[in-house]
Amino acid sequence: MDKPLLMRLENVSKQYHMGEVVVDALQPSSLDIYVGELIVVLGPSGSGKSTLLNLMGGMDRPSDGKIFFGKQDVSAADEGELTNFRRQQVGFVFQFYNLIPDLTAAENVALAASLIKEPMSVSAVLEEVGLSARAKHFPAHLSGGEQQRVSIARAIVKRPPLLLCDEPTGALDYQTGISILALLRQITSTVGSTVIIVTHNTAIAAMADRVVRMRSGIIAEVTSNDIPLAPERIEW
Amino acid sequence: MPILNRRLWRMVAAGKGQFAALVTVVMMGVLVYISMTTAYYNLYNSQQTFYQQSRFADYFFSVVKAPQDITNRIETIPGVVAATGRIQKDVSFLRPDGGRGTLRLTSYKLPLGQQLNQPVLLSGRMFTGYSGGNPEVLVDPQFAKGLGLKLGDILDIVAEGKIVHLKIVGIATSPEFIYPMKDASSIIPLPGEFGIAMLPYNQAEQILNLQGQVNQLSLQLVPGTNEYEIKKAVDAILAPYGNLYAYPRDQQLSHVVLKTELTQLKVMSRFLPFLFFSIAAGMQFLLLGRMIRLQRSSIGIMKALGYDNRTITAHYVSYAVLVSFTGAMLGTISGIGLAVLLSDTYAQYFYLPTTIGGINYRAIVYSFMISLGVGASSGLLACRGVIKIQPAESMRAAAPVQGKHILLETIPWLWKRFNSSWKMGMRSIARNKTRFMVMVAGVSASVVLLMLGFFMQDAIDYMMEQHFEKEGRYDYLIHFSSPIRESDLGYWLQWSEVEDLEPILEVPVSVTKADSNGVKSDDDLLQGLGLDGWMQGVFSPSGIQLAIPDNGVLLSAKSSKKLKLVVGDHIKVKSKMDLGPGHTMTLKVVGISQQLMGGGSYVSLQTANRLLGESKLLTGVMVNIHPGQAAAFERRLGDLTSISSIVSRNKAESNFRTLMQSAIFTIICMVIFAGILALAIAYNASLMNFNERKNELGLLRVLGYTNAEIRGVLLKEIGLQSLIGIILGIPLGRWLANYYIATAATTDMYAMPAVIYPRTYILATVSAIVFLIAGFWLITPRLKRLDLVETLKNWD
Ligand SMILES: Nc1ncnc2c1ncn2[C@@H]1O[C@H](COP(=O)(O)OP(=O)(O)OP(=O)(O)O)[C@@H](O)[C@H]1O
Ligand SMILES: [Mg+2]
Repeated sequence: MDKPLLMRLENVSKQYHMGEVVVDALQPSSLDIYVGELIVVLGPSGSGKSTLLNLMGGMDRPSDGKIFFGKQDVSAADEGELTNFRRQQVGFVFQFYNLIPDLTAAENVALAASLIKEPMSVSAVLEEVGLSARAKHFPAHLSGGEQQRVSIARAIVKRPPLLLCDEPTGALDYQTGISILALLRQITSTVGSTVIIVTHNTAIAAMADRVVRMRSGIIAEVTSNDIPLAPERIEW
Repeated sequence: MPILNRRLWRMVAAGKGQFAALVTVVMMGVLVYISMTTAYYNLYNSQQTFYQQSRFADYFFSVVKAPQDITNRIETIPGVVAATGRIQKDVSFLRPDGGRGTLRLTSYKLPLGQQLNQPVLLSGRMFTGYSGGNPEVLVDPQFAKGLGLKLGDILDIVAEGKIVHLKIVGIATSPEFIYPMKDASSIIPLPGEFGIAMLPYNQAEQILNLQGQVNQLSLQLVPGTNEYEIKKAVDAILAPYGNLYAYPRDQQLSHVVLKTELTQLKVMSRFLPFLFFSIAAGMQFLLLGRMIRLQRSSIGIMKALGYDNRTITAHYVSYAVLVSFTGAMLGTISGIGLAVLLSDTYAQYFYLPTTIGGINYRAIVYSFMISLGVGASSGLLACRGVIKIQPAESMRAAAPVQGKHILLETIPWLWKRFNSSWKMGMRSIARNKTRFMVMVAGVSASVVLLMLGFFMQDAIDYMMEQHFEKEGRYDYLIHFSSPIRESDLGYWLQWSEVEDLEPILEVPVSVTKADSNGVKSDDDLLQGLGLDGWMQGVFSPSGIQLAIPDNGVLLSAKSSKKLKLVVGDHIKVKSKMDLGPGHTMTLKVVGISQQLMGGGSYVSLQTANRLLGESKLLTGVMVNIHPGQAAAFERRLGDLTSISSIVSRNKAESNFRTLMQSAIFTIICMVIFAGILALAIAYNASLMNFNERKNELGLLRVLGYTNAEIRGVLLKEIGLQSLIGIILGIPLGRWLANYYIATAATTDMYAMPAVIYPRTYILATVSAIVFLIAGFWLITPRLKRLDLVETLKNWD
């Protein structure tokens, strides 16, 4: 890899304590992530994909191990530093879009934009995701695909170096899913974000630069695609 | 954060009803606070200014008569700033309708200069000294209004057996006559029957035949001096002149009434806002807590986006602050309105010459501070939950509300008896303990307000009953200007109007403990009544009627408290009547008496006569007349010059009723306040309950429940909470009513008992239920609009 390093995970693990029971959601795993690549994380349900993503996004702290973002030790950050990390460096896209129901599409995007000094313009981002016409609509009046586009717009308006997507197509039909993936692929080139897509749909792996496969809480395999497929040509 | 601000407005708009309910409770708190404190300060300030400008005396002494230069000797006593001597005497005046009333002639030296208790002219002009024509007088405004007297009118009085024509040249008041009452037993002013006439000293000495003499002394004291020492010194100087009685400002009737009113206002102006603000705090806490729970995933997203806890907390707290601000604004506007209304009412009730208007800016500032403080702090408290929300976790589907078993289920035989809607209601309560407590507290508060309101009516009815039915059972109480022989009354019985009469002999006395060498004494009025009389009822403090004893005395509760005397002790009474030398006698205390108003110590007619060394003397008479004979009887009295005063029970009673109309205003206010509170509480609780259980209720509808049945499910929960609130509210209201009586309504002058009639409990309960159901009913349209498809879609 000739691309610069963006994030490094060193023996990162996560345990959840539920009363007496300890759940090993993620066993010690290491991974290097480079600027501008598109990674797809694959694995069956409960294998720890979301856990891994949340740790990378500073939503949660690892039980053990270290996470570096550039020089910053994210795993040692306190609450305030984590908040700031998310604010400056990370964009999230969720399976169920998680838009704020009482804000319009444009306002949902502006909610994120208002957090940083030099965001992209809200209308430009909506244009980019093809939703200019729907800017004033509330989430309840948008289709699933449209909501997911808003959610992507909200994520990229901050120009985050790292864009994390947890099952972004999980709730969408085939056609719409493909168009969302195409949008994400396009963003790696226009915005220059590193994109990580979590999914259990193996077909999506074809569009990735690299594929991370997980099994019962551990990174089982990391492979590279020399020639990633254009999303439009993926079928499932 | 303009986006968050916009979101805030949208939250307000989405829950207009809830926002309005919260704003209303805050508004009520501010409304009550501003109106009552403003009224209080207005009344207090004009009282203080008036007292100062008119140099209201600190102590009052009455003698039979003393040379007018006695004031010079009194002013030499250390601690006495000034002493003013005057003539004050009650005479009868002739009413235009032929009846009689009492006029209290009060003299002032001209020029007015630095005298104490100066009159303040309200209209007309000041009197001039002896001018050859009719003596010029000023009368008090209530009297003038009651009799319809105008400037220039002539008022006839009977003084020293002669008729004198007084010319009214002005209307005036003084600190002593803000609320003119004849004596402590009259409860209320009788504008047509009793009045004050102020006149120049030289006229008074002519009319009352007291050349060069005074019979009253008013003293101004150095603040903080030992009043008791001064009284002793003054008593010593006055002893040779027939020293009758003395009282400090704190026992001056008009002052007592005004002060009691002020205390009551003060107590209420603190208690009522406290009630509303507490409930507002609880409601805001609940609502924000629920909002945060409901918007858990929105908060999670904001956190994932990089919003920090402070910004998110501020966002939600600003909702509470907005509620407080809106409430404070509306409360201030309406509070100023009500303050004007209250101040006007007081201005009519008490004739204070200084203005009584004005806005209390400090109260407004405090209102904003308190309501914003309450909003912000309950908001912050509710927002503690924000910090706990983990963005990663909140993305996962919200933890379903936990169905939990409740304690009641451990009693299976009882639990079995409830149907499923009762069970749901009780589980819902168990799940929302804070909401349950706020609801219960709110209902209790409404019940307390209702009880306080209705109980005032009880107090009025009790006073009517006690004063007019039990204590005074005569149609007329007549006092003579000087004692007469019992035989002089013989011919009264021949009058066809008179059914029955009973003599009284009243002797002003000083009371001391028999073996204490008179270290401590108390002024009292000894009332001699016939042994077989029934027209004057005498009661013990616990309300038991006492029989007049052959020998011995029913000592007044006031003296018994002051001198620490109990039944079985002996007292020494010394007559202060202006009849020869002061006779003394020793009496055994056989009972303690307490009349509703005034009253004194009671003995038999013989005992009272014995004290004076007489046998068949009397100072007054109680008369019962045949029905329909009032006018004829009063005409007869009009011809008698020996009468100093007449109390007609009919007139007093109707007068009292009119006066008590002002209490109705308070009662209505209380009921409205309570109603609004109950309405807001029930509406808010029902709405929260409904919103939280929308899905559950929707499912019930899908399963085939009717709208009425769904309503029943919600109503059962509200009903259970209301029931507990009412059960707690009643003893609390009772306790507060007693507390209110003890702190704000009991004075030296009258002992108001805390009576609460059963009807108050019933009324309070019924009205609380009506208001609660009305609040619940406001949400029922929502039940009908429940969208079944929507509820199933949102199921999670
Ligand atoms: N907050 C938590 N508390 C307890 N256990 C958790 C928590 N979050 C995750 N887990 C557990 O950790 C394991 C990994 O969960 P994770 O959400 O990472 O799986 P996943 O691969 O994303 O699955 P899916 O494809 O279903 O989303 C699971 O067994 C899950 O039950
Ligand atoms: Mg997952």
